[in-house]
Amino acid sequence: MSVRQLFLASALFLGISTLGAQAPTSKPAAPAPAAQAAKPSLEVSPPREMDSVRFGILGDTGTGDRRQYEVGAQMTKAMQIFPFEFVIMLGDNIYGSERPQDFVKKFEKPYEGILSQKVPFYASLGNHDDPTQRYYKPFNMNGERFYTFKKGDARFFALDSNYMDQQQLKWIEEQLSGANDRWKIAFFHHPLYSSGARHGSEVDLRTRLEPLFVKYGVDIVFAGHEHFYERIVPQKGIYYFTQGGSAKLREGNIRINSALTAKGFDTDNVFMVAELGKDSMQFQVVSRTGRRVDSGSVPLMPEPKSADDKPRSQ
Amino acid sequence: MLKLRRWQMMRTGLALFCLALCISLPAARSLVVAAVAQQAVNPLAREMADFKKRVDAYLQLRKTITQKYPEVKETGNPTKIHEREVALGKAIGLARANAKAGDVFGPLSGHLLKVVEDDWNSRSPADQKAILSEIPRGLMLKVNQPYPPKLPLVTAPPKLLAQLPVLPEELEYRLVDRRLLLRDRDANVIVDVLVGAEPKRAE
Repeated sequence: MSVRQLFLASALFLGISTLGAQAPTSKPAAPAPAAQAAKPSLEVSPPREMDSVRFGILGDTGTGDRRQYEVGAQMTKAMQIFPFEFVIMLGDNIYGSERPQDFVKKFEKPYEGILSQKVPFYASLGNHDDPTQRYYKPFNMNGERFYTFKKGDARFFALDSNYMDQQQLKWIEEQLSGANDRWKIAFFHHPLYSSGARHGSEVDLRTRLEPLFVKYGVDIVFAGHEHFYERIVPQKGIYYFTQGGSAKLREGNIRINSALTAKGFDTDNVFMVAELGKDSMQFQVVSRTGRRVDSGSVPLMPEPKSADDKPRSQ
Repeated sequence: MLKLRRWQMMRTGLALFCLALCISLPAARSLVVAAVAQQAVNPLAREMADFKKRVDAYLQLRKTITQKYPEVKETGNPTKIHEREVALGKAIGLARANAKAGDVFGPLSGHLLKVVEDDWNSRSPADQKAILSEIPRGLMLKVNQPYPPKLPLVTAPPKLLAQLPVLPEELEYRLVDRRLLLRDRDANVIVDVLVGAEPKRAE
């Protein structure tokens, strides 16, 4: 165990909170240099609304390496300030071999602090995931590759973007058309829009999904696959977040001057917390070193959606 | 007297001939109709129906095997999931020990090859590169082999999936280095490999 890991573990164990919540900054914090990695800071603000739906977002997590554990430790600390009720996982939950011990090393241990608080995780499948993960109870997939669940005024749709067949598309349309919840949130692995130099936008998938999302008023879409964070300029009234950097990192991979990027961060790993309120979603993106790298408010848009919605970044 | 007998025989023969004609005409007509109908059936529809029969036969075999290895219920114990996957894959491999490439795709193989090729040619070079870059090149998977557990499960291109026959939930298509595979989802075993034209190597 490194000195830094030891420090983080001790701080967590002793419940030391040298860091209070800080007010959102008007500009996202600059990426922390490696030398500051041990700096004990956590820039997370508490929730703003009383009865909001609060959740965490992790993507591309299952490496079992130091970075995953450090993000997990920061997120566990953040839970004290921003008590999220559940966590959604954007795929690539377990990289490489999926032996029983891998589930411990690449999921149960890194998020031990969160799991011990009985906070449920809801997983979606990535291209590195064996579909039999759907039987793994802590992923709460009910044995299904794609599924839906409701939290307060929000309905979440976990999709299997690795295998978008006709059966799943039919199911999505049926579920979306029947949903009358205030918020409709979709999450899956492959991003429909991305400025990633490695993968980029999944145009083929977008051709299938976007018309349904627009038609049935999906508000927000979370995806992973790209190992960085990117908030996309709203597309056809829908807000897209790519958050595939919770363990792996593809440093410097966001294409410079991409017209899609509202905010990008590709120099460290991150996790995300959000709350769905009556009229807006507040979000915070926090790096492995505890620095807030993006935050803002996404308004709940009346349907039908307009194409020129802009996020109210703080 | 002789004339009368001859006349009676002729009359009987004529009656029998008429009777035979009456009986055989509708049968002959239905034979002709069936032959015409046979020609009218779309050959592709016939191949599709044949493919479905082969898939159903696989499922029937699988059903007998899963009686010994029933589907796992949701569990917090990943060992149970892992052990069932491995055992099911091995049992299927044993039960289909003589299976060879093309056994399930059958006569539909020619059509499927064309679908895969047309889909490939419709994609941009960047898209082709993205598909190929997901796993190491030159991976040759064979029937009854497990899909390499450490490799990503290559993303199935949605546009291609939309053009392929719908599969039951137990099975899925995967495009590995431009070869179409049929994979058993829970057993992680290769059920069939599309044989035919050697895929062209992308630059």
